[in-house]
Amino acid sequence: MSRPIPLHEIGEKEYIDPANQACQGCGGAIVSRLVSKALGDCFVRAEVACCGPAFMNIRAPSIYVEVFEGAGALMTGISRGLKRIGREDVVVLGIIGDGGTVDIGYQGLSAAAERNENILWVCYDNEAYMNTGGQKSGATTPYAATTTTPIGEYSRGKLERRKNVPLLMAMQGAPYVATASVAYPEDLLGKLVHAKGIKGFRYIHVSSPCPTGWGYDPKDTIKVARGMVQSGLWPLYEVSNGILKLNYKPKELKPVREVLKMQGRFRHLTDEEVDRIQGEVDAFWSRLVEKDGGNIF
Amino acid sequence: MRRWEVMVGNKAIAYAAKLARVQFISAYPITPQTSVVEYLAEMVASGELDAEFVNVEGELTAQTAALGASAAGARAFTATSGPGLLYMHHPMHMTSGGRFPVVMAVIHRSVKGMQPDHSDMMAQRDTGWIMLECENSQELLDTGIMAFKIAEDERVRLPTIFAGDGYILSYTAEPVEIPAQEDVDAFLPPYRSKYPLLPGLADEARRVQMEQWGIGQDPQLRWRRQQEAMEAAKMVIREVNEEFYKWFGRRYGNGLVEEYRCEDVEAFIVAMGTIASTARTAIDRLQARGKKIGLVKLKSFRPFPSEEFKRLGAMVKAIGVIDRNISLGSGGITFQEIRSSLYDLDERPRVLGFHAGLCGKEVRVGDIEMICEKTLRAAEGEEVTPLVDWV
Repeated sequence: MSRPIPLHEIGEKEYIDPANQACQGCGGAIVSRLVSKALGDCFVRAEVACCGPAFMNIRAPSIYVEVFEGAGALMTGISRGLKRIGREDVVVLGIIGDGGTVDIGYQGLSAAAERNENILWVCYDNEAYMNTGGQKSGATTPYAATTTTPIGEYSRGKLERRKNVPLLMAMQGAPYVATASVAYPEDLLGKLVHAKGIKGFRYIHVSSPCPTGWGYDPKDTIKVARGMVQSGLWPLYEVSNGILKLNYKPKELKPVREVLKMQGRFRHLTDEEVDRIQGEVDAFWSRLVEKDGGNIF
Repeated sequence: MRRWEVMVGNKAIAYAAKLARVQFISAYPITPQTSVVEYLAEMVASGELDAEFVNVEGELTAQTAALGASAAGARAFTATSGPGLLYMHHPMHMTSGGRFPVVMAVIHRSVKGMQPDHSDMMAQRDTGWIMLECENSQELLDTGIMAFKIAEDERVRLPTIFAGDGYILSYTAEPVEIPAQEDVDAFLPPYRSKYPLLPGLADEARRVQMEQWGIGQDPQLRWRRQQEAMEAAKMVIREVNEEFYKWFGRRYGNGLVEEYRCEDVEAFIVAMGTIASTARTAIDRLQARGKKIGLVKLKSFRPFPSEEFKRLGAMVKAIGVIDRNISLGSGGITFQEIRSSLYDLDERPRVLGFHAGLCGKEVRVGDIEMICEKTLRAAEGEEVTPLVDWV
């Protein structure tokens, strides 16, 4: 299991230019910065269609290929190719959006996990297709208004549950799976450094709020992300070879209402709908607490 | 040591990949390609071939993984057929656009059924891949080896397809000479990418890499550079074809087109793939009867050898073009491209089109004799109709 690492222990070297093209308050840019710092000088970055190219100006060898659906295969090829030229020491990293992870890229992701490819997949999850204007994805929180699940007389936003890809990856037997949040950088850095030392398929799913798509002031990204974790909307846990560990376990969760009301995408929610979300969060949390320290299988 | 073996076309393809010492193979089954990757899997399993063999979950992934391996600096190979090739379409653009010299075998299968025609590859016509067509298993093996040398040439750096007709070649056994490994090693040295995706790459290499990936430049430049590489490939294909001849005693025309009995003829027909084999017999029979008609086999579909057709077209009065394909709403693809190649001639020959062998429809020697006879009538000045026939 990982141990939290404070930012100052990681070192001062920066890999991403401050002048990247990401929106103000972008969670994904924070993820990119922390990931590159944690991995240091010996990684290559694979990128498919997502907001990622906006923060592509990272001082590490990167490849951007417009195969939205192909991140798993792209990283597979790079990893096997590097092995063949005798450079297995290089970490093959993908910073992939939620669309390219849970929707269009899921087939290749799942297959790469099955083959236990030697790659590190970091999903920065802003819960929709934010680069194209905020369309619903399989990672969107239920009831959220998105540009393809707008609120109207016949629509209450996104109705489907989130696809829980971290647990799906864990159930596929991936050696290391973790969730993380931009609001908990020590936890995220610890997980990245831990993952760096493991060979095989590693998957870290990071909650990365998007001020543009979620409808909040860009200065509040960390506040929103922290609220997600503290309310149980985004639990922090890791699964190492099937053993689950809850990394953030407060005595009591905060009500989801507080974090939901900070976001424009939930402005339309009725009390009944908030209660329903609260119920689902509570149920999932109690199952996680039950499994904490034990085997998820 | 070189040796002979009776083998099916798919095995000849697998031997080409093995002799080229591919380092990465992504594999997904589809009839009639499947046994190509089965043979390779056996070679890897037995230790005969030391390569990464990745059983992927679809052709899109097969192509993308090969791209990734090539980007990392490894020699990468995959193979597919028909619908599988269609499923690769999107990443194929990325492979060529990134200038990754992946080599792929295509065993033709129609997009309208299991049997072969060239519709699968023609649907990838504009993906920026070099496309070399083969008429028998020996040619598949030889072209497969040449394909790596062409693709990896610094003047080219383009992914390359070598193709053959499904069933007719894939599952038909014939004697094939297997070159000696040491000769192939000398002909085709190991792949050393100047632009691997690695930390610490020199600035100049990084600049070229960025240009290939379209970062920070005139947005149109990548298209232009790729077109220039395609033009350069015409020369490289000819060179590689000659060098192959020096090592192995076999060549395929000038690498772009192969003339068969075209001396002192009034007309010739054009064919790609296995139909060219059938056509040789028809030409022999007709020439035995004193008919002045030859055959031009189109080997390099991309880059398209328009200069060769201009040269050849100036020598005859009529050309009959056999297309095992159709661009619906427009017509036979090689028919049109050959006609276009002749436009600048002062005296242009008549050009007739023939659709034949689509969806695996059998093309017999008699069919080709009929094509030849119609072409000869046109050469004699007769007004033959229709301009385009279905055989």
